[in-house]
Amino acid sequence: MKTINSEHHLDLTQEDEKLYSTLNLGPTHPATHGIFQNVLMMNGETIVGAEQTIGYIHRAFEKIAERRPYYQITTLTDRLNYCSSPINNIGWHLAVEKLLGVETSKRVDYMRIIVMELARIADHLVCNSVIGVDSGALTGFVYVFQERERIYEIYEELCGARLTTNLGRVGGFDRDFSPAAIQKIKALMKRLPKVLHEFENLLMRNRIFMDRTINVGGISAERALNYSFAGPNLRAAGVDYDVRVQEPYSSYSDFDFVVPVGQNGDTYDRFCVRETEMWESMKLINNALDNLPEGKFYTDVPAFNLPPKQDVYSKMEPLISHFKMVMGEIDVPKKEIYSAVEGGNGELGFYVVSDGGRTPYRLHFRRPGFIYYQAFPEMITGSSLSDAILTMSSMNVIAGELDA
Amino acid sequence: MSDKDKYTVVEAPEGYSGSGFFATTLDKAVGLARKNSMWPLPFATSCCGIEFMATMGANYDLGRFGAERLSFSPRQADLLMVMGTIAKKMAPVVQQIYEQMAEPRWVIAVGACASSGGIFDTYSVLQGIDKVVPVDVYVPGCPPRPEQIIDGFMKIQELVGNEPLRRRYSPEYKAMLESYGIITDSYDK
Amino acid sequence: MEYTILLQELKNKFEDKILSVDEAADIFTLTVSSEAIKEIVSYLKEQQSFIYLTDLCGIHYPEQEKELGVIYHLHNLVANKRIRLKIFVSKAHPQIDSIVSLFSGANWMERETFDFYGIDFVGHPNLIRILNVEYMDYHPMRKEYPLEDATRSDKDDRFFGR
Repeated sequence: MKTINSEHHLDLTQEDEKLYSTLNLGPTHPATHGIFQNVLMMNGETIVGAEQTIGYIHRAFEKIAERRPYYQITTLTDRLNYCSSPINNIGWHLAVEKLLGVETSKRVDYMRIIVMELARIADHLVCNSVIGVDSGALTGFVYVFQERERIYEIYEELCGARLTTNLGRVGGFDRDFSPAAIQKIKALMKRLPKVLHEFENLLMRNRIFMDRTINVGGISAERALNYSFAGPNLRAAGVDYDVRVQEPYSSYSDFDFVVPVGQNGDTYDRFCVRETEMWESMKLINNALDNLPEGKFYTDVPAFNLPPKQDVYSKMEPLISHFKMVMGEIDVPKKEIYSAVEGGNGELGFYVVSDGGRTPYRLHFRRPGFIYYQAFPEMITGSSLSDAILTMSSMNVIAGELDA
Repeated sequence: MSDKDKYTVVEAPEGYSGSGFFATTLDKAVGLARKNSMWPLPFATSCCGIEFMATMGANYDLGRFGAERLSFSPRQADLLMVMGTIAKKMAPVVQQIYEQMAEPRWVIAVGACASSGGIFDTYSVLQGIDKVVPVDVYVPGCPPRPEQIIDGFMKIQELVGNEPLRRRYSPEYKAMLESYGIITDSYDK
Repeated sequence: MEYTILLQELKNKFEDKILSVDEAADIFTLTVSSEAIKEIVSYLKEQQSFIYLTDLCGIHYPEQEKELGVIYHLHNLVANKRIRLKIFVSKAHPQIDSIVSLFSGANWMERETFDFYGIDFVGHPNLIRILNVEYMDYHPMRKEYPLEDATRSDKDDRFFGR
């Protein structure tokens, strides 16, 4: 095994290394939510260095994507950050639309905003409740997961699936929001403030929680930018970079929302930033739902507009054209694009190089979780093991996004 | 005060009962006790793990089947629930965890990836965990709904309740474990 | 910041190192020579405020003479401008200077590119495989290698159309 010395340029002599103990954290560990391994070098209770091993769930997404036509890649993007799959799906469809040069109608944009913000709420609910679980507060987790079940019910109305949603089409959606879906979203928006207040009362001003999370696992804004952090982790460090504001997509510029920013970049700031983002997402959903414009829920993209499902199941022509589109018998312009959306963890980017064929020549996912997890050893050096656990869970490292 | 006659807590096994006694075979009694208090080891790797978290939550509640106490230590677990994709890098870890579990132990492969590699027919994904550990129940789905996971769990409970006591000492069982490369101590000297 | 001004300043400083410019692409793209990449990235970071490394990935074009490529995406957060740099190296000598000293976030990105394409980043503190198993002896994302595992026995290629 390589020594930790060389990885992180620690000034450890041979004698020092004999004094320190090695502790293996993972890959199967209750507190690592996902499978990744950290070998910690400890001086008693204090962590001196860490060596990380990832790749335990490497599924070769980028190689698979070179084999699959554009519609079949949506199912791969589901499984990146699987706590908020709709954001990944819509992000991919936005990338394909950028490749094809397609403009979507306002109705499609607003519907997409509603779905993406619901997914963001679902992702942050998991992350924040899991920070509670790792500090010993299991109640919040059970309360908050019930709301996640309600969000799953909404996804089922929209696309039929709970977790890996495979939602939407290039240019919009396959069906409009049904009245049941709208009613469920409205009911959830009425219910969620009370639940979030209850959850915050448990944790946010709780003396024990604050003592365990303030000044734990902090990172400064300069180091965070140097490590290419993104998302809530970067905003907790003090940099207000949000792709929805910087490069608005899907009509986010029509809406007025606050981007919360922390000060110290510690665990408490990350918790609070995610909590505030959930409130902002609720505002966005309410706004979008109240002002949902009339129009079509799809766009007439010539070779990507799948026919309605009832026709596909009953008539011959739509069945054939559906088959041809999903199998990729279409021409795509020969160019390369980079398109980014604000995922649950930050800037989720898609770099697509198309050579005009039915599958991308190269598809690279810019995965925020992969990039910011590298900073973990720097964030935990000098702290205790329990602090390291909280830091890890507050960073919201999702294994699917880490390894792809 | 509560209407106890309406609810059956657990079905009694077949046996002969009389005034103050109930006689049944030992393996049925032991099976009854084991199946209603399984301690699972949630080996959650990816998306199926999130569906498992939903199954453990209040809506679907795996705890009412006796699996309230999750054990992350293999020494204390009965049931290895492998949920999610297992890559080739992770396969030796699964086998190590399985070896550390004490008999009797069962394995449930939750999800398409654990059963057969799922949608990932690639160079880095193990095409099914039954290449490294013997599996009792496969739950297909991508991810399976919590109801399906509970159905798989109930099938495991059936297997546990009907298992003969000497099964783990039989030469066929040992030969099966040898075929996976899992070392078994001979505890039946 | 205007891209024409930026292009002029880059041309003044690095005339012969810039091989081609693509202003019509969605992001201002420069193809530069692989020896000068660290200088150019350092100039962009220090003088032109491109302080955010968005992405670093590899690519393989088997029909070109210089087959392996590395693509950098940099972002100027203040002026909200992005830039894409491309460099190409041959398979026989895939050495490129590492930019870990400029951007700590490039550490794992370069390891991933090494893992998938076999590009050797000179000066990287720990250039070993990151996502694949350590004993893997080839670089899987190169175009000549298949997606499936060649040794798998349970799936019959005839039924999978391969």
